[in-house]
Amino acid sequence: MDEISRHVYSEEEKNHIFNEEFLPLIHSMYNFGYRLTLDADDAKDLVQDTYLKAYRFINSFQKGTNAKAWLFRILKNSFINDYRKKSKEPGKVDYQEVEAYYNSDEVDRQITPDLRVESLKDMIGDEISNALNSLEVDFRTVIILCDLEGFTYEEMAKILDIPIGTVRSRLHRARQLLKEKLSSYARSMGYKNT
Amino acid sequence: MNTPFNPFTLPGGEAPTCIEMLQLILDGESTREQLEYFVLHMEQCPPCFQSYEVDMQIRQLLKSKCCREAPSGLKEAIQIKLNGQINF
Repeated sequence: MDEISRHVYSEEEKNHIFNEEFLPLIHSMYNFGYRLTLDADDAKDLVQDTYLKAYRFINSFQKGTNAKAWLFRILKNSFINDYRKKSKEPGKVDYQEVEAYYNSDEVDRQITPDLRVESLKDMIGDEISNALNSLEVDFRTVIILCDLEGFTYEEMAKILDIPIGTVRSRLHRARQLLKEKLSSYARSMGYKNT
Repeated sequence: MNTPFNPFTLPGGEAPTCIEMLQLILDGESTREQLEYFVLHMEQCPPCFQSYEVDMQIRQLLKSKCCREAPSGLKEAIQIKLNGQINF
């Protein structure tokens, strides 16, 4: 992710990196694009744009570094610049409020979940997907990056251009919000004690 | 807790809370030593155990229900578009 260092690859090297390192990540890229845009056509366009940009700027990719994190960062930036404007997302979350919440005593009181494994096991439909999609995009994003794609704090900080402390607090809040959504689904499914 | 040393202890000597330990585990940022400590800790801390179980179940649900594959032909469409750009 070092934007200063550039390499001049031959056409053959470029194609090799693109075909062997970038294209095999197409499913993860598409899923990320879909979870950001929540629209199959927009996701296709976003992923396509991202790959074309990746090829154009391939000289700033350092061979041997994390191609997935590099591509995810381009996709996220493309989404913010080209797609977020037209989406109907609510405004950005006040992260100072989130940080304040994270540092408050309220957090520890929630260690006992009001959600049971049994009720989660009965969620065989779209409940989890709907719950994830209902989260504000910044919260949705960290759940995908951490829980589905396995990125580290450091990688997420670079992909999202935010400090590691913010990654941590955002993830924490995202998990709480996801659980709240799932709890309400569990209640609607008839679990009195969710 | 009878365990003599808690590897989650902060540099200033401050004891970590359950939620802090749990989050580090869930986020995949714990060391092996911390993970081993937490497994033992959960045996004596039902809230941690319950919370961990729920979080793991949610993660499993996410992995099984929230991973859409790219539509067939997308890879080829990208390659065609790219070849078109390179040639012109």
